[in-house]
Amino acid sequence: MSWRNALYLAVRSLSWYRGRAITVVLCLALTLWLPITVRLLLNQFREDIIARAVATPLIVGAKGSRIDLALHGLYFDSVSPDQTTMAESNYIHDTGFATPIPVHVQYRTQSVNRVAGVPIVGTTIEYFEFRKLGVAAGHGLSVLGDCVIGCDIAARMQLGPGDRILSAPRNAFNLAGNYPLKMNVVGVLAPSHSPDDNVVFVDIKTAWIIDGIGHGHQALKNADDGVLLEKTDTNVTASAAVLPFTEITPDNIDSFHFHGDEDGFPISAVIAQPSNRKNRTLLLGRYLTERRDIAQCVKPTEVVQDLLNIVFRVEHLVWLSSLLSATVTALLLTLVLSLSIRLRAVEIRTMHKLGCSRGTIAVLISTEFLMMCAAGILIAVTGAWLASVVAADGLKSLLF
Amino acid sequence: MIEIQQLTFTYPHGSFHLHISELAVESASVSAVVGPSGSGKTTLLHLVSGILPIALGKILIDQTDLSTLTDAERRRFRLQQVGLVFQDFELIDYLSVIDNVLLPCRIGDAVALDDATQRRAEKLLEQSGLVDHIRKPVTQLSQGEKQRVAICRALLPKPAILLADEPTGNLDPTTSGQILDLMLSSARENNTTVMMVTHDHSLLNRFDHVIDFERFLTSSEPAPAARGTPE
Repeated sequence: MSWRNALYLAVRSLSWYRGRAITVVLCLALTLWLPITVRLLLNQFREDIIARAVATPLIVGAKGSRIDLALHGLYFDSVSPDQTTMAESNYIHDTGFATPIPVHVQYRTQSVNRVAGVPIVGTTIEYFEFRKLGVAAGHGLSVLGDCVIGCDIAARMQLGPGDRILSAPRNAFNLAGNYPLKMNVVGVLAPSHSPDDNVVFVDIKTAWIIDGIGHGHQALKNADDGVLLEKTDTNVTASAAVLPFTEITPDNIDSFHFHGDEDGFPISAVIAQPSNRKNRTLLLGRYLTERRDIAQCVKPTEVVQDLLNIVFRVEHLVWLSSLLSATVTALLLTLVLSLSIRLRAVEIRTMHKLGCSRGTIAVLISTEFLMMCAAGILIAVTGAWLASVVAADGLKSLLF
Repeated sequence: MIEIQQLTFTYPHGSFHLHISELAVESASVSAVVGPSGSGKTTLLHLVSGILPIALGKILIDQTDLSTLTDAERRRFRLQQVGLVFQDFELIDYLSVIDNVLLPCRIGDAVALDDATQRRAEKLLEQSGLVDHIRKPVTQLSQGEKQRVAICRALLPKPAILLADEPTGNLDPTTSGQILDLMLSSARENNTTVMMVTHDHSLLNRFDHVIDFERFLTSSEPAPAARGTPE
């Protein structure tokens, strides 16, 4: 019996007993879909997370959870680590071992077009060079109040150069707290397929203005006495009646200023980019000795590896449960198959009478079974691929 | 020619016993096999067709001794030389009319499934008045139409022997007559030897010979040859 004839008869039989065939195919597809999807998603997740970690040599931040620090430095939209100060960035710069890139992520934007707010990342120009982020539309950061947005955000919020976006206060009930800042969207980043596509970038100083550390307001020298609490030759104390500017414009930009020493200004983390292996080792040594009580320096690859070990354990559990469900499905399919053969006893007997060997009958039934298996596998693989495309970002957002 | 010599058959788990000392059926003859239920008529057809193996005795078909053939050789012989028609048609529900007729070509390599075979199948169905039903599922056919499809399936490989086991048993008298006409005319046209089991004695005048199993049951003498036993 040729395979062509076996396939022909199998197709006819499957289409005739289509209810049974569809049930078997769906059972197989569902049983296979879960482990394949988990494997695909975890592989994709593993590749993404490792690639970004490998591309980030060192992250320096306040002492505390090394996982929170590393993930925040890599992905921004995660649990905030304890804040460190700009002094850490300046220290790294002064050692000459690495190029420091401060990152300050404390605020989010307000929702736009029914899209929830996204993290505002305050950083320096070096970050864009470090991550090789190009501008697809508009231009990069140039003055206070400018922001460039990731391509995914631009698409979802329908924003582009020339639009405005507001920062969201951390506590809406704190009347004495910082005001929302209206930022100018000056550019949209080219797609990088990384978390950078989902955040709003501002200069670190703009981030501090959002934080309330820097501000701009009307000139107080000639202000009405009604808004002043105290005025001496050297010092002016204004009342709350003097409102800070909530938008940075060419007219008021010169009035923006910071109080205090920059070394004390908060940042979330510093990405350190050592020029070579020796400097990397030396910098790590500094944070294990003289700065061990003040800050910590983590290697993102190590932290991510620790995290992946947890993921692997979850993966093992999923595999185990999938194995159990596959065993149950296999037993059920065996039952269905044996009952089906019993129901088709007359047909099998007829074929035997006509001259069909037991081997040929086995080939016919096996062909049907293999076709159902192939269809089940095809559906499972296609479903897993679709899930990996659709759900990959969702899975990442669940984890971070 | 079909020759049976000292044939003895018993089923492994049963008291049934068939013994035929001698029986001969001429080539291209048309014989009816009659006898009470349980006398071994169907068993004889299964032995002649090679469905059942021969333990004792001989069945010679045109000098081929079936008792010396292996299972595979008997299957090949059956596909090439024997056409089978059953009382309950035994068609495959999930195949169309034409596919049921072509089934012997698909389940074995004894008969090639080529254009000529396809045309022959269509011609047989045309002769049987089923030309309008070629692509229909067999489940949509009447009982008489189903039996006609079964006859076409049996005749497709141009068999030397056509064995029919009560092919009209489930049919009304009119349809029975039509089915018999079709089967016998096709067989005579192709010089096919026919052995047909029947309980309908009104049909016996249509046959050249009658093999009466009553004689095997009541007599310990060798069975008479079908040859020269006109009813």
